[in-house]
Amino acid sequence: MRKYLARRAAYAAGTLLGVSLIIFVVLRILPGDPLVAILGVEGHARMSPADRVRIMADLGLSDPLPLQYGRWLVDIGAGRLGRSFFRGDTVAELIRHRGPISAEIGLLALVISWLVGLPVGILSAFRPNSVPDGVARTLSVLFIAIPGFWLGMLIVLALLFWFGYKAPIVIVHLWENPWQNFQIVIGPALVLGFAQGAYIARMSRSCLLEIIGEDFVRTARAKGVREGRVVFRHALPNALLPVITISGVLLGFVLGGSVAVEQAFGVPGLGRALVTAVIERDIIVVQNLVLLYASIFVIINVLVDLSYAWLDPRIRYG
Amino acid sequence: MSTQRPSHAPLTRRSFLRAAGIAGGVAITPAVFHTRAGAQETASPIGVDPAAKHGGTLRYAVHNAPAHFDVHQSGTVANIGPQSPMYDTLLRRHPKDGQTIIPDLAWKYEISRDGKVYTFHLRKGVKFHDGADFTAEDVKATYERIARPPKGVVIPRTPLFATVGDIVVVDPHKIEFRMTEARPKAFMLGAFASGWNIIVRKKTLEENQGNLRQVMNYPGTGPFRHVSRKDKELWVMERNPNYWNKGLPYVDRLEIYHMMPFSPELGASFLSGKVDYARLLDPVSWRKAKEMQGVTAAAFNQSVIQAFWTNMNKKPLADPRVRRAIHLAMDRPTLVEVVKDTAPMQVGGFVYPFHDFSTPRAELEKRLGYQRDVKPAVQEAKRLMKEAGYANGIRNLDFVVRDIATFKLWAVAIQAMLKEHLNIDTNLRVVQTSVWFDEAQAGNFDLAISAIVSTLMDPSDYFSAWYGKDGPQNYSRWTNPGFHDLANQIERELDDTKRKSLVRKAEDILEQDPPLIPVAYEQIYDAWYNKVRGQNPSTYFGIYDVVRWDQVWVAQT
Repeated sequence: MRKYLARRAAYAAGTLLGVSLIIFVVLRILPGDPLVAILGVEGHARMSPADRVRIMADLGLSDPLPLQYGRWLVDIGAGRLGRSFFRGDTVAELIRHRGPISAEIGLLALVISWLVGLPVGILSAFRPNSVPDGVARTLSVLFIAIPGFWLGMLIVLALLFWFGYKAPIVIVHLWENPWQNFQIVIGPALVLGFAQGAYIARMSRSCLLEIIGEDFVRTARAKGVREGRVVFRHALPNALLPVITISGVLLGFVLGGSVAVEQAFGVPGLGRALVTAVIERDIIVVQNLVLLYASIFVIINVLVDLSYAWLDPRIRYG
Repeated sequence: MSTQRPSHAPLTRRSFLRAAGIAGGVAITPAVFHTRAGAQETASPIGVDPAAKHGGTLRYAVHNAPAHFDVHQSGTVANIGPQSPMYDTLLRRHPKDGQTIIPDLAWKYEISRDGKVYTFHLRKGVKFHDGADFTAEDVKATYERIARPPKGVVIPRTPLFATVGDIVVVDPHKIEFRMTEARPKAFMLGAFASGWNIIVRKKTLEENQGNLRQVMNYPGTGPFRHVSRKDKELWVMERNPNYWNKGLPYVDRLEIYHMMPFSPELGASFLSGKVDYARLLDPVSWRKAKEMQGVTAAAFNQSVIQAFWTNMNKKPLADPRVRRAIHLAMDRPTLVEVVKDTAPMQVGGFVYPFHDFSTPRAELEKRLGYQRDVKPAVQEAKRLMKEAGYANGIRNLDFVVRDIATFKLWAVAIQAMLKEHLNIDTNLRVVQTSVWFDEAQAGNFDLAISAIVSTLMDPSDYFSAWYGKDGPQNYSRWTNPGFHDLANQIERELDDTKRKSLVRKAEDILEQDPPLIPVAYEQIYDAWYNKVRGQNPSTYFGIYDVVRWDQVWVAQT
């Protein structure tokens, strides 16, 4: 197990190093001048070549690229995530302030996706081709197909025009005011959760359909075991493994999807900070946030892999 | 022949009265001079309104967060919106109309007869938020920086003070701006009253090597003081209890929310009552606000032109006939209509359509290129294209479009108009804002659509920036000696009537030989709940001058 963990950690570190290199290179070769956002359109138009040289040097962008990359890695290693080009706020502070909101949205979305997706999948699997199954499958396809940001905007507008309601417009943390915090996170979490729930419903339905055709399920039924026990004691645990695998991947999608959905709901989370940083070409913020997202994705996948052994005693890591 | 009067001329009634008059005049002269020299400092014309209530919180939503904190170096309301309440200027525009120039930190100013010396008498007893005294040295440091920025500091207003030679501190509360050349009074006073030119401490500038981009809370003398800031969310300020204009400001706390202009988020926040005052509302939310009970919605002019540039280095576009044909092929009322649900716009030409110097709207609407019925203009455009040798149109023009909703909508409409009216084919290339400016400055485009702003409505400000030979926003690389000569004269002409006639002549040149193709002029939509009193921006131009909130109060606290 230790060997396995060490190997996975090495793979994860290699993956993150690759990601960091890709982000770094892409951000530097993409067209567009960060000084437009810093100086504004008018200031940028009046900037002399000497001013440009001075400002780029101040921002640390005139050093050779390998040096800039090396410095960034050293900073990450030392736990320094740098400062925004523009206002001088630290990225660590940004993550501390906005991270909890985005994390809440991600976790709540995951819980919602399970709470919705699993019962729907079970119902569909045990009543295949029935009316409820048809409705569930249609809704699943619908939620997979509808873009989250669009649904988010519809919800915001519907709440506004029908009830004159809008969630709080600045971050309120869970420990500051749980009710206001809930109002901020519930909308994005529902949109993301239903979309991921649709995947889980489809996956659990197909896995359960496969499992309930197995001999041990037929045997349990033949022995007169109650249907509930057949489902929850015998079939479901065996069908869960692929569902857990896809949940790990889906959490990655939730992270990605939250960028657009936070924007639609006007939630000032990390996803929204990333969008703004991309628009402003705030390179330091973008590269650190993307690396953070990549790190979370890699860690989740390692945890999912490790959970297999706990869920299925037949699996052993060597 | 001598003209000397006889020394013993008889004393007549007339000579007696003249002598008595002169003697009297001489006798009172020292008194007059004394009165002037020691004149009493006058209060700000923005006095305390007896009906106003003190206290409460004003929640104001304006624009997204600033990219940095240096107001002088900025050109966006993202800075001036949230930061201005913490600062003062030498002169300012009166909030009652947004146009009249009134004293601010300078309680009085004098302009020499030749228009080359501006003397400002500064208020005494004014303190910065850190407790330091405000003196003429701070004004000098501020304006030296604006007029002659240090290396690595770029200030868009620098050209306004191009003729400022020496800035001389006469005493701690008196300062002189000595000009190398006189400029029209309205132009110079407008420059001094611009909301951008906030007074900052000399010490602050020295401590930060003249660069305040990353200095979040530098002391001002303004009505509000910094309390806290959450990046891209909220900036909180409190009433400055030591504000020099006693009794102001009225509100105890100012909460400024950062929200994208014209965004549904801003509209939703206002309509749901999360903010009391919203600036830069989208048209749909603004129309909804207008219908609401207890809400006032106002529209006013903004100093921004929306236009597309034609690259003079590309052969067909170098021909003024082709550019005029493109100009005439635009159905401007339709272009305004195209974006009516995205951003408020109005038809205009090469000069701000709402300025005293511009062609009156009624007259403009009769002119080719601005009429509702585009047929005569299109007919003329076709004739010009034929004359220029492009009767069959032009193929494959690269049309660079800024990735902003209005520009994308317009680009499609303009593409259709050019194709339908002149058989000009364009390929749209949508790019991020930062890329757009790279491409425009490098000349990598045939047509390129964007918007540009000026500090003042006065043509002398934007004629050189937008249409000047080396103007920083003359992306077309356009030149016209006749125009440049006129622009020079307009800059130097001190008589308003003569200036106006020169501007009209310049406008005629621009119509015939367009340096850019005007699409529309921006308007601003504001809305506020009626409990917010003391401000109505309907007659304001722009959102860069009346931005301090010292005269605003909240009726229900």
